[in-house]
Amino acid sequence: MARRYDSRTTIFSPEGRLYQIEYAMEAISHAGTVIGILAKDGVVLAAEKRVTSKLLDRAEASGEKIFTLNSNVVAGVAGITADANSLVNYARMAAQRHLFSFDEDIPVEQLAQKLCDLKQGYTQYGGLRPFGVSLLYAGHDPHHGFQLYHSDPSGNYSGWKATCIGANNGTAQSLLKQDYKDGMGLWEPAPKPAEGEPGAEGEPSKYGAVELAARVLSKTLDATTLDSEKVEFAIITLDRKTDLPKPRIFKPEEIDRLLAKYELGKPSDETPGTGTATPAAVAAGSQGERMDVS
Amino acid sequence: MSILEYNGGSVVAMRGKKCVAIAGDLRLGNRNMTLATNFEKVFPINPKLYVGLPGLQTDVLTLKERFRFRTNMYKMKESRDISPLTFARLVASTLYERRWSPYFVEPVIAGLDETTNEPFIAATDLIGCLNFAKDFVVSGTASDKLFGVAEALWEPELESEDLFETISQTLLNAVDRDALSGWGAVVHVITADKIITRTLKARMD
Repeated sequence: MARRYDSRTTIFSPEGRLYQIEYAMEAISHAGTVIGILAKDGVVLAAEKRVTSKLLDRAEASGEKIFTLNSNVVAGVAGITADANSLVNYARMAAQRHLFSFDEDIPVEQLAQKLCDLKQGYTQYGGLRPFGVSLLYAGHDPHHGFQLYHSDPSGNYSGWKATCIGANNGTAQSLLKQDYKDGMGLWEPAPKPAEGEPGAEGEPSKYGAVELAARVLSKTLDATTLDSEKVEFAIITLDRKTDLPKPRIFKPEEIDRLLAKYELGKPSDETPGTGTATPAAVAAGSQGERMDVS
Repeated sequence: MSILEYNGGSVVAMRGKKCVAIAGDLRLGNRNMTLATNFEKVFPINPKLYVGLPGLQTDVLTLKERFRFRTNMYKMKESRDISPLTFARLVASTLYERRWSPYFVEPVIAGLDETTNEPFIAATDLIGCLNFAKDFVVSGTASDKLFGVAEALWEPELESEDLFETISQTLLNAVDRDALSGWGAVVHVITADKIITRTLKARMD
Protein backbone atom coordinates (compact mmCIF):
# COMPACT_ATOMS: atom_id res chain seq x y z
CA MET A 1 0.00 0.00 0.00
CA ALA A 2 1.53 3.33 1.04
CA ARG A 3 4.06 1.57 3.25
CA ARG A 4 6.86 1.71 0.73
CA TYR A 5 6.69 5.50 0.45
CA ASP A 6 6.21 6.68 3.96
CA SER A 7 9.51 5.96 5.68
CA ARG A 8 11.43 8.88 4.19
CA THR A 9 10.24 12.46 4.33
CA THR A 10 12.20 13.48 1.27
CA ILE A 11 10.42 11.36 -1.30
CA PHE A 12 7.01 11.50 -2.91
CA SER A 13 4.61 8.61 -3.18
CA PRO A 14 3.36 7.63 -6.64
CA GLU A 15 0.13 9.53 -5.94
CA GLY A 16 2.22 12.65 -5.31
CA ARG A 17 1.81 12.69 -1.53
CA LEU A 18 4.32 13.23 1.27
CA TYR A 19 3.23 10.66 3.80
CA GLN A 20 5.44 11.78 6.66
CA ILE A 21 3.86 15.20 6.56
CA GLU A 22 0.41 13.66 6.60
CA TYR A 23 1.34 11.43 9.52
CA ALA A 24 2.65 14.49 11.34
CA MET A 25 -0.71 16.19 10.85
CA GLU A 26 -2.38 13.04 12.16
CA ALA A 27 -0.35 13.40 15.38
CA ILE A 28 -1.59 16.96 15.70
CA SER A 29 -5.21 15.92 15.30
CA HIS A 30 -4.89 14.12 18.63
CA ALA A 31 -3.54 17.16 20.43
CA GLY A 32 -5.37 19.75 22.52
CA THR A 33 -7.41 22.27 20.57
CA VAL A 34 -6.21 25.83 20.09
CA ILE A 35 -8.63 28.47 18.82
CA GLY A 36 -7.60 31.88 17.53
CA ILE A 37 -9.91 34.80 16.74
CA LEU A 38 -8.98 38.18 15.28
CA ALA A 39 -10.83 41.23 16.62
CA LYS A 40 -10.53 44.87 15.72
CA ASP A 41 -8.79 45.75 18.98
CA GLY A 42 -6.77 42.58 19.53
CA VAL A 43 -6.39 38.84 19.01
CA VAL A 44 -7.42 36.06 21.39
CA LEU A 45 -6.03 32.53 21.74
CA ALA A 46 -7.83 29.86 23.74
CA ALA A 47 -6.38 26.39 24.25
CA GLU A 48 -7.28 23.09 25.85
CA LYS A 49 -4.59 21.56 28.00
CA ARG A 50 -4.13 17.83 27.53
CA VAL A 51 -1.61 17.00 30.21
CA THR A 52 -3.61 17.21 33.41
CA SER A 53 -2.67 15.29 36.49
CA LYS A 54 -2.87 16.15 40.17
CA LEU A 55 0.78 15.15 40.48
CA LEU A 56 2.03 17.79 38.04
CA ASP A 57 3.91 20.61 39.74
CA ARG A 58 2.14 23.44 37.97
CA ALA A 59 3.27 26.21 40.27
CA GLU A 60 6.66 26.79 38.66
CA ALA A 61 5.80 25.52 35.20
CA SER A 62 5.66 27.60 32.08
CA GLY A 63 2.67 27.27 29.78
CA GLU A 64 1.93 24.10 27.93
CA LYS A 65 0.01 25.47 24.93
CA ILE A 66 0.45 29.22 24.74
CA PHE A 67 3.80 31.03 24.72
CA THR A 68 5.06 34.56 24.26
CA LEU A 69 7.35 34.64 21.24
CA ASN A 70 8.13 38.35 21.48
CA SER A 71 6.63 41.48 22.93
CA ASN A 72 4.33 41.64 19.90
CA VAL A 73 3.49 37.96 19.20
CA VAL A 74 1.95 35.13 21.22
CA ALA A 75 1.64 31.62 19.86
CA GLY A 76 -0.53 28.60 20.56
CA VAL A 77 0.90 25.17 19.75
CA ALA A 78 -0.68 21.79 19.06
CA GLY A 79 1.19 18.54 18.57
CA ILE A 80 4.33 16.86 19.90
CA THR A 81 5.22 18.92 22.99
CA ALA A 82 8.98 18.52 22.64
CA ASP A 83 8.89 19.62 18.99
CA ALA A 84 6.73 22.57 19.99
CA ASN A 85 9.17 23.70 22.69
CA SER A 86 12.02 23.51 20.21
CA LEU A 87 10.11 25.59 17.65
CA VAL A 88 9.07 28.15 20.27
CA ASN A 89 12.71 28.61 21.27
CA TYR A 90 13.73 28.94 17.62
CA ALA A 91 11.02 31.55 17.07
CA ARG A 92 12.09 33.53 20.14
CA MET A 93 15.69 33.58 18.94
CA ALA A 94 14.61 34.60 15.43
CA ALA A 95 12.53 37.47 16.85
CA GLN A 96 15.44 38.66 19.00
CA ARG A 97 17.89 38.43 16.09
CA HIS A 98 15.57 40.65 14.06
CA LEU A 99 15.27 43.08 16.99
CA PHE A 100 19.06 43.15 17.30
CA SER A 101 19.60 43.85 13.61
CA PHE A 102 16.80 46.33 12.98
CA ASP A 103 15.92 47.71 16.44
CA GLU A 104 12.28 46.92 15.55
CA ASP A 105 9.86 44.19 16.58
CA ILE A 106 9.72 41.50 13.92
CA PRO A 107 6.60 41.78 11.75
CA VAL A 108 4.23 38.89 12.56
CA GLU A 109 4.19 37.43 9.07
CA GLN A 110 7.99 37.43 8.89
CA LEU A 111 8.18 35.43 12.12
CA ALA A 112 5.68 32.93 10.75
CA GLN A 113 7.71 32.72 7.55
CA LYS A 114 10.95 32.07 9.43
CA LEU A 115 9.39 29.12 11.25
CA CYS A 116 7.81 27.86 8.05
CA ASP A 117 11.14 28.02 6.21
CA LEU A 118 12.60 25.86 8.97
CA LYS A 119 9.71 23.39 8.84
CA GLN A 120 9.80 23.17 5.05
CA GLY A 121 13.50 22.36 5.13
CA TYR A 122 12.72 19.27 7.16
CA THR A 123 10.41 18.08 4.39
CA GLN A 124 12.99 18.33 1.66
CA TYR A 125 16.51 17.95 3.09
CA GLY A 126 18.35 15.92 5.64
CA GLY A 127 16.20 12.82 5.89
CA LEU A 128 14.93 13.91 9.30
CA ARG A 129 11.31 13.67 10.32
CA PRO A 130 9.18 16.81 10.20
CA PHE A 131 8.11 18.77 13.30
CA GLY A 132 4.81 17.39 14.50
CA VAL A 133 3.46 20.83 15.47
CA SER A 134 0.92 23.28 14.16
CA LEU A 135 1.06 26.81 15.47
CA LEU A 136 -1.28 29.77 15.66
CA TYR A 137 0.53 33.10 15.75
CA ALA A 138 -1.40 36.05 17.22
CA GLY A 139 0.38 39.36 16.96
CA HIS A 140 0.54 43.01 16.03
CA ASP A 141 2.86 45.14 13.96
CA PRO A 142 2.61 48.74 12.74
CA HIS A 143 2.47 47.63 9.10
CA HIS A 144 -0.63 45.42 9.13
CA GLY A 145 -2.16 45.86 12.59
CA PHE A 146 -3.49 42.77 14.38
CA GLN A 147 -2.96 39.48 12.58
CA LEU A 148 -3.58 35.75 13.06
CA TYR A 149 -1.57 33.11 11.18
CA HIS A 150 -1.63 29.33 11.13
CA SER A 151 1.31 27.11 10.13
CA ASP A 152 1.52 23.33 9.80
CA PRO A 153 4.27 20.66 9.49
CA SER A 154 4.47 21.07 5.73
CA GLY A 155 5.79 24.60 6.21
CA ASN A 156 2.70 26.19 4.74
CA TYR A 157 1.07 29.17 6.46
CA SER A 158 -1.95 31.39 5.92
CA GLY A 159 -3.62 34.37 7.55
CA TRP A 160 -7.00 33.94 9.22
CA LYS A 161 -9.79 35.91 10.87
CA ALA A 162 -10.64 32.92 13.02
CA THR A 163 -9.27 29.40 12.97
CA CYS A 164 -8.51 26.36 15.03
CA ILE A 165 -5.93 23.57 15.27
CA GLY A 166 -5.72 20.28 17.17
CA ALA A 167 -8.49 17.88 18.09
CA ASN A 168 -12.04 18.57 16.90
CA ASN A 169 -10.80 21.42 14.78
CA GLY A 170 -13.37 20.73 12.08
CA THR A 171 -16.17 21.20 14.58
CA ALA A 172 -14.66 24.34 15.99
CA GLN A 173 -13.98 25.74 12.54
CA SER A 174 -17.62 25.40 11.48
CA LEU A 175 -18.82 26.94 14.74
CA LEU A 176 -16.47 29.85 14.14
CA LYS A 177 -17.73 30.19 10.60
CA GLN A 178 -21.28 30.59 11.87
CA ASP A 179 -20.62 32.97 14.72
CA TYR A 180 -17.65 35.08 13.58
CA LYS A 181 -18.65 38.59 12.54
CA ASP A 182 -16.30 41.16 11.03
CA GLY A 183 -15.71 44.13 13.26
CA MET A 184 -16.13 42.25 16.53
CA GLY A 185 -14.11 43.58 19.43
CA LEU A 186 -12.31 41.47 22.02
CA TRP A 187 -14.90 42.31 24.66
CA GLU A 188 -17.86 43.70 22.67
CA PRO A 189 -19.80 42.14 19.80
CA ALA A 190 -19.61 43.54 16.30
CA PRO A 191 -21.86 46.54 15.75
CA LYS A 192 -25.00 45.76 13.80
CA PRO A 193 -24.43 46.86 10.19
CA ALA A 194 -26.75 49.56 8.83
CA GLU A 195 -29.72 48.64 6.62
CA GLY A 196 -28.58 47.66 3.15
CA GLU A 197 -25.03 46.83 4.26
CA PRO A 198 -23.80 43.26 3.77
CA GLY A 199 -24.62 41.13 6.80
CA ALA A 200 -27.53 43.32 7.92
CA GLU A 201 -30.01 40.53 7.24
CA GLY A 202 -28.27 37.90 9.35
CA GLU A 203 -28.34 37.45 13.10
CA PRO A 204 -26.60 40.30 14.92
CA SER A 205 -23.48 39.03 16.63
CA LYS A 206 -23.88 38.35 20.32
CA TYR A 207 -20.32 37.78 21.45
CA GLY A 208 -17.01 39.53 21.64
CA ALA A 209 -14.02 37.53 20.46
CA VAL A 210 -12.93 36.37 23.92
CA GLU A 211 -16.40 35.12 24.80
CA LEU A 212 -16.77 33.47 21.40
CA ALA A 213 -13.45 31.67 21.84
CA ALA A 214 -14.48 30.46 25.28
CA ARG A 215 -17.85 29.23 24.04
CA VAL A 216 -16.45 27.44 21.00
CA LEU A 217 -13.76 25.86 23.17
CA SER A 218 -16.32 24.59 25.66
CA LYS A 219 -18.28 22.95 22.84
CA THR A 220 -15.27 21.19 21.35
CA LEU A 221 -13.64 20.13 24.58
CA ASP A 222 -13.49 16.49 25.51
CA ALA A 223 -14.40 17.40 29.08
CA THR A 224 -17.82 18.53 30.23
CA THR A 225 -16.79 21.68 32.06
CA LEU A 226 -14.16 24.34 31.64
CA ASP A 227 -11.86 25.37 34.44
CA SER A 228 -8.51 27.07 34.72
CA GLU A 229 -6.72 23.74 35.07
CA LYS A 230 -7.85 22.60 31.64
CA VAL A 231 -7.61 25.76 29.53
CA GLU A 232 -5.13 28.49 28.71
CA PHE A 233 -6.13 31.93 27.48
CA ALA A 234 -4.12 34.77 26.02
CA ILE A 235 -4.85 38.06 24.33
CA ILE A 236 -2.70 40.60 22.57
CA THR A 237 -3.81 44.23 22.51
CA LEU A 238 -2.33 47.69 22.18
CA ASP A 239 -1.53 49.48 25.40
CA ARG A 240 -3.77 52.55 25.45
CA LYS A 241 -1.10 54.89 26.79
CA THR A 242 2.09 53.77 25.06
CA ASP A 243 0.54 52.40 21.83
CA LEU A 244 2.85 49.40 22.12
CA PRO A 245 1.63 45.81 21.70
CA LYS A 246 0.75 44.17 24.99
CA PRO A 247 0.65 40.38 25.18
CA ARG A 248 -1.17 38.91 28.16
CA ILE A 249 -1.31 35.25 29.13
CA PHE A 250 -4.12 34.90 31.67
CA LYS A 251 -3.32 33.58 35.11
CA PRO A 252 -5.48 30.72 36.46
CA GLU A 253 -7.49 33.07 38.72
CA GLU A 254 -8.20 35.35 35.76
CA ILE A 255 -9.38 32.39 33.69
CA ASP A 256 -11.72 31.28 36.49
CA ARG A 257 -13.20 34.76 36.69
CA LEU A 258 -13.65 34.88 32.93
CA LEU A 259 -15.36 31.48 32.82
CA ALA A 260 -17.60 32.46 35.72
CA LYS A 261 -18.59 35.64 33.89
CA TYR A 262 -19.61 33.68 30.82
CA GLU A 263 -21.17 30.96 32.97
CA LEU A 264 -19.04 28.29 31.40
CA GLY A 265 -17.28 27.09 34.51
CA LYS A 266 -20.18 25.52 36.38
CA PRO A 267 -20.55 21.77 36.00
CA SER A 268 -23.58 21.38 33.76
CA ASP A 269 -25.80 18.50 32.69
CA GLU A 270 -25.11 17.78 29.06
CA THR A 271 -28.06 19.50 27.36
CA PRO A 272 -28.79 18.13 23.92
CA GLY A 273 -27.60 20.37 21.15
CA THR A 274 -24.86 22.22 22.99
CA GLY A 275 -22.21 19.63 22.34
CA THR A 276 -21.48 18.63 18.78
CA ALA A 277 -18.78 16.12 19.73
CA THR A 278 -20.30 12.65 19.56
CA PRO A 279 -19.23 10.03 22.10
CA ALA A 280 -17.36 8.21 19.34
CA ALA A 281 -15.39 11.30 18.41
CA VAL A 282 -14.61 11.94 22.06
CA ALA A 283 -13.28 8.41 22.54
CA ALA A 284 -11.17 8.61 19.40
CA GLY A 285 -9.69 11.97 20.40
CA SER A 286 -8.97 11.16 24.04
CA GLN A 287 -5.33 10.58 24.84
CA GLY A 288 -5.56 9.36 28.40
CA GLU A 289 -2.30 9.99 30.20
CA ARG A 290 -0.02 10.58 27.17
CA MET A 291 2.53 13.16 28.18
CA ASP A 292 4.29 13.67 24.86
CA VAL A 293 1.40 15.10 22.91
CA SER A 294 -0.45 18.19 24.13
CA MET B 1 44.91 58.39 23.30
CA SER B 2 43.46 55.01 24.22
CA ILE B 3 40.44 53.77 22.30
CA LEU B 4 38.49 53.75 25.57
CA GLU B 5 38.85 57.56 25.68
CA TYR B 6 37.93 58.21 22.05
CA ASN B 7 34.29 59.16 22.65
CA GLY B 8 34.57 60.18 26.31
CA GLY B 9 31.95 59.72 29.01
CA SER B 10 31.69 58.57 32.61
CA VAL B 11 29.27 56.72 34.88
CA VAL B 12 29.04 56.22 38.65
CA ALA B 13 26.73 54.10 40.83
CA MET B 14 26.25 54.14 44.58
CA ARG B 15 24.50 52.01 47.16
CA GLY B 16 22.25 53.55 49.77
CA LYS B 17 19.74 52.45 52.37
CA LYS B 18 17.24 50.25 50.47
CA CYS B 19 18.06 52.19 47.32
CA VAL B 20 20.69 52.53 44.63
CA ALA B 21 21.57 55.41 42.34
CA ILE B 22 23.31 55.42 38.98
CA ALA B 23 24.37 58.52 37.09
CA GLY B 24 26.13 59.30 33.83
CA ASP B 25 27.17 62.29 31.79
CA LEU B 26 25.71 63.12 28.39
CA ARG B 27 28.76 63.94 26.26
CA LEU B 28 29.58 62.19 23.02
CA GLY B 29 32.83 63.35 21.45
CA ASN B 30 35.24 62.60 18.66
CA ARG B 31 38.59 63.00 20.39
CA ASN B 32 38.55 66.61 21.56
CA MET B 33 35.50 67.67 19.52
CA THR B 34 32.11 67.40 21.17
CA LEU B 35 29.51 65.88 18.85
CA ALA B 36 26.44 65.50 21.06
CA THR B 37 25.23 66.64 24.47
CA ASN B 38 22.30 64.23 24.74
CA PHE B 39 24.02 60.86 24.49
CA GLU B 40 22.62 58.81 27.37
CA LYS B 41 24.74 55.88 28.42
CA VAL B 42 22.64 54.49 31.27
CA PHE B 43 19.97 52.02 30.10
CA PRO B 44 17.14 50.18 31.85
CA ILE B 45 17.24 46.39 31.75
CA ASN B 46 14.12 45.93 33.84
CA PRO B 47 12.17 48.37 36.04
CA LYS B 48 14.58 47.97 38.97
CA LEU B 49 17.87 47.30 37.17
CA TYR B 50 20.00 49.74 35.18
CA VAL B 51 23.34 49.39 33.42
CA GLY B 52 25.74 52.22 32.62
CA LEU B 53 27.99 51.74 29.57
CA PRO B 54 30.77 54.31 29.20
CA GLY B 55 33.37 53.84 26.47
CA LEU B 56 33.51 53.53 22.70
CA GLN B 57 30.10 54.62 21.39
CA THR B 58 29.63 51.88 18.82
CA ASP B 59 30.29 49.24 21.47
CA VAL B 60 28.02 51.05 23.94
CA LEU B 61 25.10 50.77 21.52
CA THR B 62 25.94 47.23 20.42
CA LEU B 63 26.26 46.01 24.01
CA LYS B 64 22.98 47.66 24.98
CA GLU B 65 21.30 45.75 22.14
CA ARG B 66 23.09 42.47 22.97
CA PHE B 67 21.96 42.73 26.60
CA ARG B 68 18.42 43.46 25.46
CA PHE B 69 18.52 40.29 23.29
CA ARG B 70 19.78 38.10 26.11
CA THR B 71 17.55 39.52 28.84
CA ASN B 72 14.45 39.29 26.60
CA MET B 73 15.21 35.58 26.04
CA TYR B 74 15.83 35.14 29.76
CA LYS B 75 12.52 36.76 30.64
CA MET B 76 10.54 34.61 28.20
CA LYS B 77 12.16 31.37 29.32
CA GLU B 78 12.12 32.04 33.06
CA SER B 79 8.84 34.01 33.19
CA ARG B 80 10.52 36.51 35.49
CA ASP B 81 12.91 39.47 35.39
CA ILE B 82 16.63 38.77 35.60
CA SER B 83 18.11 39.51 39.01
CA PRO B 84 20.94 42.09 39.30
CA LEU B 85 23.53 39.49 40.33
CA THR B 86 22.67 37.16 37.46
CA PHE B 87 22.71 40.11 35.06
CA ALA B 88 26.16 41.15 36.31
CA ARG B 89 27.41 37.65 35.52
CA LEU B 90 25.74 37.84 32.12
CA VAL B 91 27.63 41.11 31.48
CA ALA B 92 30.90 39.49 32.53
CA SER B 93 30.46 36.45 30.32
CA THR B 94 29.31 38.54 27.34
CA LEU B 95 32.47 40.63 27.63
CA TYR B 96 34.79 37.65 28.15
CA GLU B 97 33.40 36.03 24.95
CA ARG B 98 35.42 38.74 23.22
CA ARG B 99 38.52 38.28 25.39
CA TRP B 100 40.91 38.65 22.43
CA SER B 101 39.04 41.40 20.60
CA PRO B 102 37.16 43.17 23.35
CA TYR B 103 34.27 45.61 23.51
CA PHE B 104 35.78 48.92 24.60
CA VAL B 105 33.25 49.50 27.35
CA GLU B 106 33.61 49.16 31.14
CA PRO B 107 30.04 48.66 32.41
CA VAL B 108 28.51 49.67 35.73
CA ILE B 109 25.44 47.86 37.07
CA ALA B 110 22.96 49.08 39.69
CA GLY B 111 19.65 47.63 40.79
CA LEU B 112 17.42 46.15 43.46
CA ASP B 113 16.88 42.41 43.73
CA GLU B 114 13.44 41.72 42.29
CA THR B 115 12.13 39.80 45.31
CA THR B 116 14.10 41.03 48.35
CA ASN B 117 14.71 44.60 47.07
CA GLU B 118 18.26 44.26 48.38
CA PRO B 119 20.42 47.04 46.82
CA PHE B 120 23.09 45.81 44.42
CA ILE B 121 25.92 47.52 42.55
CA ALA B 122 28.77 46.07 40.49
CA ALA B 123 31.20 46.98 37.75
CA THR B 124 33.42 45.11 35.33
CA ASP B 125 36.46 45.91 33.25
CA LEU B 126 36.35 45.59 29.48
CA ILE B 127 36.99 41.85 29.54
CA GLY B 128 34.54 40.97 32.28
CA CYS B 129 36.39 41.05 35.58
CA LEU B 130 33.61 41.61 38.12
CA ASN B 131 33.87 44.00 41.05
CA PHE B 132 31.11 43.64 43.66
CA ALA B 133 31.63 46.83 45.63
CA LYS B 134 29.77 47.54 48.82
CA ASP B 135 29.89 51.32 48.50
CA PHE B 136 30.24 52.74 44.98
CA VAL B 137 31.57 51.89 41.53
CA VAL B 138 32.99 54.23 38.87
CA SER B 139 33.89 53.98 35.21
CA GLY B 140 34.83 56.12 32.22
CA THR B 141 37.31 58.85 31.34
CA ALA B 142 36.73 60.64 34.68
CA SER B 143 37.01 57.44 36.75
CA ASP B 144 40.07 58.59 38.74
CA LYS B 145 38.31 61.83 39.67
CA LEU B 146 35.09 59.93 40.44
CA PHE B 147 37.02 57.70 42.82
CA GLY B 148 38.36 60.75 44.61
CA VAL B 149 35.08 62.59 45.10
CA ALA B 150 33.06 59.45 45.86
CA GLU B 151 35.54 58.37 48.50
CA ALA B 152 35.21 61.76 50.12
CA LEU B 153 31.44 62.17 49.92
CA TRP B 154 29.99 58.66 50.26
CA GLU B 155 28.83 57.31 53.55
CA PRO B 156 26.84 54.18 54.32
CA GLU B 157 23.04 53.99 54.70
CA LEU B 158 22.11 57.19 52.89
CA GLU B 159 18.39 57.70 52.25
CA SER B 160 17.31 58.09 48.64
CA GLU B 161 17.12 61.90 48.69
CA ASP B 162 20.56 62.17 50.32
CA LEU B 163 21.97 59.53 47.98
CA PHE B 164 20.72 61.61 45.07
CA GLU B 165 22.57 64.69 46.36
CA THR B 166 25.74 62.70 47.01
CA ILE B 167 25.90 60.97 43.64
CA SER B 168 25.04 64.21 41.82
CA GLN B 169 27.84 66.15 43.47
CA THR B 170 30.22 63.25 42.88
CA LEU B 171 29.48 63.12 39.16
CA LEU B 172 29.32 66.87 38.56
CA ASN B 173 32.58 67.73 40.28
CA ALA B 174 34.47 64.78 38.85
CA VAL B 175 33.48 65.43 35.24
CA ASP B 176 34.28 69.12 35.64
CA ARG B 177 37.91 68.09 36.05
CA ASP B 178 37.79 65.89 32.93
CA ALA B 179 37.94 67.35 29.45
CA LEU B 180 36.25 64.39 27.80
CA SER B 181 33.23 64.05 30.13
CA GLY B 182 30.44 66.39 31.05
CA TRP B 183 28.08 68.52 28.92
CA GLY B 184 25.10 67.47 31.01
CA ALA B 185 24.22 64.66 33.41
CA VAL B 186 21.32 62.28 34.18
CA VAL B 187 20.74 60.58 37.55
CA HIS B 188 18.45 57.60 38.26
CA VAL B 189 17.55 56.79 41.87
CA ILE B 190 15.95 53.35 42.26
CA THR B 191 13.84 52.48 45.27
CA ALA B 192 11.46 49.58 45.91
CA ASP B 193 8.37 51.43 44.70
CA LYS B 194 9.67 53.87 42.09
CA ILE B 195 12.54 55.22 40.02
CA ILE B 196 13.18 58.95 39.88
CA THR B 197 15.15 60.21 36.91
CA ARG B 198 16.53 63.73 37.03
CA THR B 199 18.58 65.73 34.54
CA LEU B 200 21.19 67.87 36.31
CA LYS B 201 22.11 71.42 35.49
CA ALA B 202 25.79 71.03 34.66
CA ARG B 203 28.63 73.09 33.30
CA MET B 204 28.28 72.94 29.53
CA ASP B 205 31.94 72.82 28.71
